Amino acid sequence: MISTILLLGTVCSTVTGRLGRVAGTLRRQVLWPVGRTLERLLAPIDRVLDPVADGYNRSLGPYFGEMSGLQFGVIAVSVAGLLTAGYWAPMVGPLLGGGLLRTLALASIWAIFAMSWDIQSGYTGYISFGHSALSGAAGYTTALLIVHVDPTLSIWVTGSVSVLAALVVGLLIALPTLRLEGPYFSLITFVAVLLFYRLTTAFSSLGGIPGFGQPDVFTWDPMLRYYYMAIPMLLIALALTFMARSNLGMILIAIRENEPAVSAAGLNPTKFKLWSFMLSSVPMGIGGVLLVGFTGNVDPSTFVVVDNSIEMIAIAVIGGMSSILGPLGGAFLFEVLNHQVLHGYSTPVRYLFLWLIVLFVLVFARDGLFRAIWHRLGAVRGESE
Amino acid sequence: MSVLEVDNLTKTFGGLVAVDDFSLEVDEGEIVGLIGPNGSGKSTVFNCIMGLYDVTDGEIRFNGVDITSDSTHQIVAKGLSRVSQESNPIDLYSVSENIRLFTLPNSIRSLHGGASDEEIREYAARIDIEDKLHEMPSELPHADVRRLEIAKSLATEPELMLLDEPFAGMNQAEIGELAAQIERFREDGMTMVVVDHNMGGLMELVDRVVVLNNGDFLAAGTPAEIAADDAVQEAYLAGEGLQ
Repeated sequence: MISTILLLGTVCSTVTGRLGRVAGTLRRQVLWPVGRTLERLLAPIDRVLDPVADGYNRSLGPYFGEMSGLQFGVIAVSVAGLLTAGYWAPMVGPLLGGGLLRTLALASIWAIFAMSWDIQSGYTGYISFGHSALSGAAGYTTALLIVHVDPTLSIWVTGSVSVLAALVVGLLIALPTLRLEGPYFSLITFVAVLLFYRLTTAFSSLGGIPGFGQPDVFTWDPMLRYYYMAIPMLLIALALTFMARSNLGMILIAIRENEPAVSAAGLNPTKFKLWSFMLSSVPMGIGGVLLVGFTGNVDPSTFVVVDNSIEMIAIAVIGGMSSILGPLGGAFLFEVLNHQVLHGYSTPVRYLFLWLIVLFVLVFARDGLFRAIWHRLGAVRGESE
Repeated sequence: MSVLEVDNLTKTFGGLVAVDDFSLEVDEGEIVGLIGPNGSGKSTVFNCIMGLYDVTDGEIRFNGVDITSDSTHQIVAKGLSRVSQESNPIDLYSVSENIRLFTLPNSIRSLHGGASDEEIREYAARIDIEDKLHEMPSELPHADVRRLEIAKSLATEPELMLLDEPFAGMNQAEIGELAAQIERFREDGMTMVVVDHNMGGLMELVDRVVVLNNGDFLAAGTPAEIAADDAVQEAYLAGEGLQ
């Protein structure tokens, strides 16, 4: 027995040692030269854009974070790309298997979820495994209002009440748990979503397994539908970035890094953790309402199932936790891979591949792909951020 | 007038009595040394004062106000601050940002408040690390990390500062320098309690020494009186001796 373990240990260490060498060679022979070439190509663009970025840094930089010329350029192009996707996506889509606008609309919703998760879990380090309970609360509230109260209620009424419901469920989870330390917070959020899932499947008045088909989609027009999802997403990104770059973000990160130091600074950590959970619940509710308008169906597997909570975490991890914009990018990468690049494969195969990517990022790029790219963009002319 | 009053403080952990019926009064402008062999309960007293431990029995008052059951952040807001034994700066933040964190208002609405760069420089200058503001804590030598802890504490604008083993790990030159800086705080009107397990760094600095042994009050007096006290000598015999 012991000799088997020893043998396995030797094999494992040899394999990981060799893998490490291969990775080292890959980095030296391929990634670094490619990186240097890119830097040489991008440096002039960075220089050209610098005056514009400086103007931004002087006026809005203190509120949304400072950027280098190239970083500013990438953000500007990305925002312009998202705002005009309704026009270019139908032309590019067929190259990627079609339905690109649908994927981008879905990615917008998941970006909202991942960013909302990030401002709470990514920033404070109190990892929630139960965030889909919040979007679920919003989705189910919309469905129940339409089914049991009045099918003609306006979206503004059902939407507002649903976001409020997400906030209430958020407070129900956060109030008793955020004082807890260690793994208890995570475990309770995990149990909360399992509980919610069983609740929705156990009672037919809550729709049971098929859920509710009565809520209508916002629109059948793919272009309009995309903008219904993308515009709120961009506004939420703006609001959360503003919050994350303020004192609040600084305190939340300090809570993650060293909670006793936050108390010693005269700041009440519980109050800020609670606030971050509320700040997370509201956009989760908005995302839930948008998901109803996207699918037209409210059921446990679309809304509540714990896999959804894990997917939000995966997206945030891929993009780069505690950066807001990282999870936004992560959502688009994840959904485009899932529904466009890998669209020919069956769902299990696609997810197998996606989870492998998550694992890869966790092992080799722990800070997230988009954060890594962002920092490289900020340092193309040698100076690091 | 007493700034800090600790009355009959008792703290037990299960069956272990860490602090037993201990009392302490600190007057405005004083520097009091709280000494005792390792494990005598000095840090437990500090932890009780700062609200990190629930007090088993007794009362703690600051400027006449009962703070026994307050949370740490409320106690800090009232003007008490502690420089802990462990240095725990936030490694992701620069020296300047670490200090800034300690100036932020305890309000979710204050998104852009806190000290200005100039004010942060002043806090740092009081402990002579103003030229390290843009460095990261991991780049600093040990003595500067300890100074950063003091700068953070200063940034909460305390009336009374509790210093837990401020000289730990420092060489003689650094100890002398830090003692002079602490002396300057007193001249600026700060009241301080300094914990140490030996009197090496404290002799010149403190007005009064209180000795704890096994959680009990053992002796109090001027540094000279304490150095000559037989009971104190005896308590230290098992340990490293009074230096």
